[in-house]
Amino acid sequence: MIDDDWPTPMPRRGDVDRSGDYAVFAASPAPQTPGGAHQASATGSQMLEAPRRTRRGTSPLGWVGAGLLAVWLVAMPLTSTATQLAQNTQAMVMVLAVLGVNLATGYGGMISLGHGVFVAVGSFATAYAAADMGLPWAVSILAGAVLAGTLGAVVGLPALRIKGIYLALVTLGLAIVFQPLSKRFTAFTGGVSGRTVDAEMIAPTWFGTSRWSEGLYRYLICVAVVVMALWLVQQLVDSRPGRAMRAVRDDDTAAAVYGVNLTTNRLATFAASAALAGLAGALQVVLVPFASQESFPPQESLVLYATAVLGGLGSIWGSVLGVAIREAAAAAGSGLASIDGLGAISELFDLFDDERLLFGAALIVLTFVFPRGLASAIVGRARRRDA
Amino acid sequence: MDAGLLLLLQRIFDALTNSAIYASLALALVIIYRSTGLLNFAQGEMATFSAYVAFVLLVGAAPGLTGGSLAAAIGAPYPTVAAIGAAVVFGAIAGGVTERLVIRPLRETSELAVVSITIGLFLGVNSLVEQWWGTAPRQFPSLFPDAASDYLDVAGARLRYSAIGAWATLLVLLAALAWLLQRTRGGLAFRAVSFNRESAELSGIRSARTLMWGWVLASALGAVAAALSASSVLLEPKMMLRVLVYAFAAATLGGLDSPRGAIIGGVVIGLSQTLVPAYIPFIGFELSVLPALVVMVIVLVVRPAGLFGTQRLERV
Repeated sequence: MIDDDWPTPMPRRGDVDRSGDYAVFAASPAPQTPGGAHQASATGSQMLEAPRRTRRGTSPLGWVGAGLLAVWLVAMPLTSTATQLAQNTQAMVMVLAVLGVNLATGYGGMISLGHGVFVAVGSFATAYAAADMGLPWAVSILAGAVLAGTLGAVVGLPALRIKGIYLALVTLGLAIVFQPLSKRFTAFTGGVSGRTVDAEMIAPTWFGTSRWSEGLYRYLICVAVVVMALWLVQQLVDSRPGRAMRAVRDDDTAAAVYGVNLTTNRLATFAASAALAGLAGALQVVLVPFASQESFPPQESLVLYATAVLGGLGSIWGSVLGVAIREAAAAAGSGLASIDGLGAISELFDLFDDERLLFGAALIVLTFVFPRGLASAIVGRARRRDA
Repeated sequence: MDAGLLLLLQRIFDALTNSAIYASLALALVIIYRSTGLLNFAQGEMATFSAYVAFVLLVGAAPGLTGGSLAAAIGAPYPTVAAIGAAVVFGAIAGGVTERLVIRPLRETSELAVVSITIGLFLGVNSLVEQWWGTAPRQFPSLFPDAASDYLDVAGARLRYSAIGAWATLLVLLAALAWLLQRTRGGLAFRAVSFNRESAELSGIRSARTLMWGWVLASALGAVAAALSASSVLLEPKMMLRVLVYAFAAATLGGLDSPRGAIIGGVVIGLSQTLVPAYIPFIGFELSVLPALVVMVIVLVVRPAGLFGTQRLERV
């Protein structure tokens, strides 16, 4: 066979010390001393100590971004119709799913191409709890996040041994298997055609009873949940377990030597990241009383990954930015598609009325231009960590 | 012969076509992995694109068929073999161009960057296929005689000509590949670069250009796999999604850097796809991709080198 005379290769990618792979992408580690984690590792036991609190640099562009975000949060509901409000809120809660990918991939160094699965599980679990079991919404939403997180811990088990590109492979496989698998659990997922959710989150009467004010109520709930989750994740990544997480990402052997329990750390990271995605799915059910496997083709998981990478891995705000880019790109795409009368060029523009093409192209282009993700370019935290 | 045994034999025969498809796509993945250490997640989508090119060349100008008039301008409709041959050449060139444009410049940066690039390719190509040719399944002409009576009777079980044809195609490709790698200068260079890039460069081999040929070969193999797949079921945009999981499972099982492993893995996964649903009713046809994923995970956890792959050592 063709193997025979094809000698066994010696040095291959897998053999080389690839620690720092993720460091290239991650805009994160907060230590402001030049050299960051690498210097810390040189000084041994300090590795997981909290870095000295120095001035946390926020570039002027960062402030502009924060201002725009604040304006959007207030102006969006006021200028939207009830339908637009629901759609925009749906887009907003996807920040959580992207943050989930970011936590696993950017902070934990575990590439996940399958987070759409956890979003779906969160949706189905919340739908089941709220409609079929009649539980209150707060409990149902929590149930969605917890179930997704539990599944995440199970999926995280192979991630204890499988790393890097191989984990990407397994999670992509999971994303592809999910659709046929979910059709087997009809009671839970509604099978092929999905399920409606016979439960609605009703705003208190003093809040108003128009469709718009119902939508505003749900929007405010979602904003509260998203803000709380962002804050919690920021606390997590700045804490000792969070620093351990990044240490494991950069060099798991070294982290283990410094006393990090790799098993707990990896499992907890993956579970937390899946729970975030599940929370996004749970909120989707609050906003649209329908859940179907049709909404979670493997491509959706890949778009989540692309969003996280485009925004910038290893940065909380990167995930927010990623979703903003996703929405802006979708708007730009349909804008391009609406240009008619240019013949072949119009036809070319029409193609971009599809986020997969836009995202595919953007992912390729931006990987060239900003290999560390967009957030690093804007927030200005991109430092050469190997300098 | 005992009825249960006969049924088993028949099921094994039924698995042959799929085995050949998985083996050829797995071989494509292995060629790229072996030479560069990359997994090309877009391999299946690129192959689907080539299969649609073949379809357009087969049909020519038809209402609502993107590219049909372009194909008609260069003489379409073509006979089946010519159309598929042209599509394979197209796929090979596209693979080479892709490598040159987006993979080569980033090859040395990081694993994550290359994963991102192949995911970007996956999404982009997937979107183009759906937008240009629609999501509806299309009837792809069969490559081999496929009438109800086209089979060999082997001890009462039916061995279809299409299964024999798929394996004949695969074996011809393997022979061609073996000849290329072992009897040509380019093949020698490719093996040298796979073995040790730095040493190969020091002896005057242009490694970048050589590695591009790996992508050319892999994309050609992928295009063949997609054409076989389209002719054995239907041509549709998502047809290679599951095939990709089977092929990755096959490649992992055989060892990601072993061409022989890819073929044997393809056979095993192909058999499991037919036999597991037959004997475990819960799995059913549609979920037959689950055992493949499970095999992949188990192999990666227990023996990452697979059956025939090289054990990897990690230096700390």
